[in-house]
Amino acid sequence: MTFEAGERVRVLPSGKPGHVRTPAYLKGKVGWVESLIGAFPNPEELAYGHSGLPERPLYKVGFRQIDLWDSYTGPTEDYLYADIYEHWLEPERGTT
Amino acid sequence: MGGSPGGPIDRGQHEVEDWERLADAINGALGAKGLQSTDELRRAIESLENYRDLSYYERWVAATENLLVENGVLSSDEIDERAAEIEQLWDGP
Repeated sequence: MTFEAGERVRVLPSGKPGHVRTPAYLKGKVGWVESLIGAFPNPEELAYGHSGLPERPLYKVGFRQIDLWDSYTGPTEDYLYADIYEHWLEPERGTT
Repeated sequence: MGGSPGGPIDRGQHEVEDWERLADAINGALGAKGLQSTDELRRAIESLENYRDLSYYERWVAATENLLVENGVLSSDEIDERAAEIEQLWDGP
């Protein structure tokens, strides 16, 4: 699965144990792919001394702050960008 | 912290202490020697049971010790013995 810039995505609400680079506060949240950063060894495997291969695509993903924090009172145009690996993303086809 | 409420941010400056520089240098050396990776260190830091009780570099040191043992570079006994030796030197005349 490959994502294009602008594509809406949801971060998997996975409770995968161990070391993951996906912040807990983004799990289950909807954002958009800003750009492809590149492909890198999987840090979830590197964390336990493995090779991390094959390399995994890493995306810069944008989120609206109001979609992340219940008590957020700032402008709608306040965004947060995070680096998320492809295996943590699924296409989001719903509307918000 | 980690997406949980962490309270107000301490914006005060603080001096980096010698042992903190040493902790940083040792981690750099272990990485250069291929004995430890950044991802392993992050995982070991997150795994610390007393994570929230430790300062930034205290976490580095505690996690590094665990990794050295885990990767078979040193044993806990060797680390404890050496630490006791150093402690004695400091307490000496």
